[in-house]
Amino acid sequence: MKFPRVQTVLTVIAAVIPLALLAILLFLGSYAWPAIRFNGLGFLFKLTWNLGNLYANPVTVAGQVVPRGAQYGILVFIAGTLLSSAIALLLAVPLSIGIAVFLTEAVGGTLRELLSFVVELLAGVPSVVYGLWGYAVLIPLVAHQIGPFLRSALGFLPVFAGSVGSGYGLLTAGLVLALMVVPIIASTLRDALLHVPIPLKEGAYALGATHHEVVREVMLPAVRSNLVAASILGLGRALGETMAVLMVSGGALNYLPHNIYSPVTTMAAFILSQLDSALTDPTGMAVRSLAEIAVVLFLISLLVNLVARLLIWQTERRSRVAHG
Amino acid sequence: MLAPSAPAIPADGIQLDRGALSAQHLQVFYGRKQALFDVDIDLTPHTVNALIGPSGCGKTTFLRAINRLHDLTPEARVEGKILLDGIDIYDRSIDPVDLRRRVGMVFQKPNPFPTMSVVDNVTAGLRLTGVRHRGKLQEAAERALVQAALWDEVKDRLRQPALRLSGGQQQRLCIARALAVEPEVLLMDEPTSALDPQSTARIEDLLGSLKQQVTVIIVTHNMQQAARISDTTAFFLAGSLVELGPTDAIFTNPSDPRTEAYVTGRFG
Repeated sequence: MKFPRVQTVLTVIAAVIPLALLAILLFLGSYAWPAIRFNGLGFLFKLTWNLGNLYANPVTVAGQVVPRGAQYGILVFIAGTLLSSAIALLLAVPLSIGIAVFLTEAVGGTLRELLSFVVELLAGVPSVVYGLWGYAVLIPLVAHQIGPFLRSALGFLPVFAGSVGSGYGLLTAGLVLALMVVPIIASTLRDALLHVPIPLKEGAYALGATHHEVVREVMLPAVRSNLVAASILGLGRALGETMAVLMVSGGALNYLPHNIYSPVTTMAAFILSQLDSALTDPTGMAVRSLAEIAVVLFLISLLVNLVARLLIWQTERRSRVAHG
Repeated sequence: MLAPSAPAIPADGIQLDRGALSAQHLQVFYGRKQALFDVDIDLTPHTVNALIGPSGCGKTTFLRAINRLHDLTPEARVEGKILLDGIDIYDRSIDPVDLRRRVGMVFQKPNPFPTMSVVDNVTAGLRLTGVRHRGKLQEAAERALVQAALWDEVKDRLRQPALRLSGGQQQRLCIARALAVEPEVLLMDEPTSALDPQSTARIEDLLGSLKQQVTVIIVTHNMQQAARISDTTAFFLAGSLVELGPTDAIFTNPSDPRTEAYVTGRFG
């Protein structure tokens, strides 16, 4: 059998990516394995993260050597991650739709190119810059303006009631993340809107639709699956964002957020912030538990992308059946 | 000069001579390029009018001037007048959105709204005008689908996505969608060019009955089709209207030698 050489080379190259993915998961999994054995399922549902007494003699629990009193629960970080990402998407999706529609429908020519370039440029700003901006600008703004305003306007909802705090917290983290994912969603959606077939738009105009109605009734429905895909892409970024969140989230430990101003910690930010102290654990269990957080984060991202893929496949299949 | 005023409409809403269309000194430009030269044309209500001519002769440009679709192209410019029921549709007082509800259009390729069901496609125009009453929408959908000879085929699958229909059915769905808002004029831009012969025949059969409701203006590349379906034929060449006349006369005894050359197949 003759297998063309180019094809062999390309197949090998293409195989690198799924293999790398698998290798990362296997490495993380095996490194975290002692922690997975020790923590059990309680890892996901317990609130308390306690390194234990690092100076006492370690004890053996469930076959694993751990510091006395050590307990690793990450519910707080899971909640912080999901809630801050949810807030980010809630803010970013409508804003991105607005930007994408503006860029395709309201401006044209050079101005569109220029503004689109600026939007894409925002996606390339290092996250630490967003974090610093959040720290210097957003935190005082949330503490003194946005927070009090939300409390007085929406205080009848428990989420918005209570102490506004210092500005470090869920809302600020969500705002910074929103800003970071807007360019991703907006530019993807802009490309999709530009590719809505002209006959489809003309069909709506010919029926007596106004410009606004063409956008609302024809163009936006036509890019639904692109919107889902773009949002998931943005969600992926938000879930994994580390530095910017760490700088504005307030670093909550052992404590679930009770309103939108509460300090939180996300999984990614926690791994970064706790690595140093975890390394002081002579049994190594703390670091292995951090690795277990990474496994969980990895799996959540994988799950999110899988769900997005399924949603997109479903919409695509529906329209393909239609054409057949 | 007197401002244009609406023609008297009988109180009971019957408008038998609705859909009279004429163009005066119509010129269309795309940027610096002129696509239509000084076209004068007069069409009788409730007739089927075929526009024929070689590619790039301006027949589609003329068609798209009638519902002001050129407004969507920034570099396109229209001069002259098009009178619909005696009123210039390019007059400042005319809103193109209102005009397009009176002048329906069917395109070369079927373009149903892909995210809508069969029935939602048909009622899309009415819903745009603010009709929300379910019974009225249902009634209008059925009437339009009957007119487009599609009702029997889709009456059991009204809620299915429009894209599940065959190409020919999709095109009749687009005809129904245009008819549902009860226009006066129906523009058709080579509506059968993407369809198989059987679907083409169904749409041709339809045109004879459609002229009861609307003035039909159809662009076609197929001269047999023009001969079969139309009452009047207009022959365009290089952006000008060469000849307009009863279809029989255009095909058997044209007065212009260029028309004769084209219809006998010597070029085109």
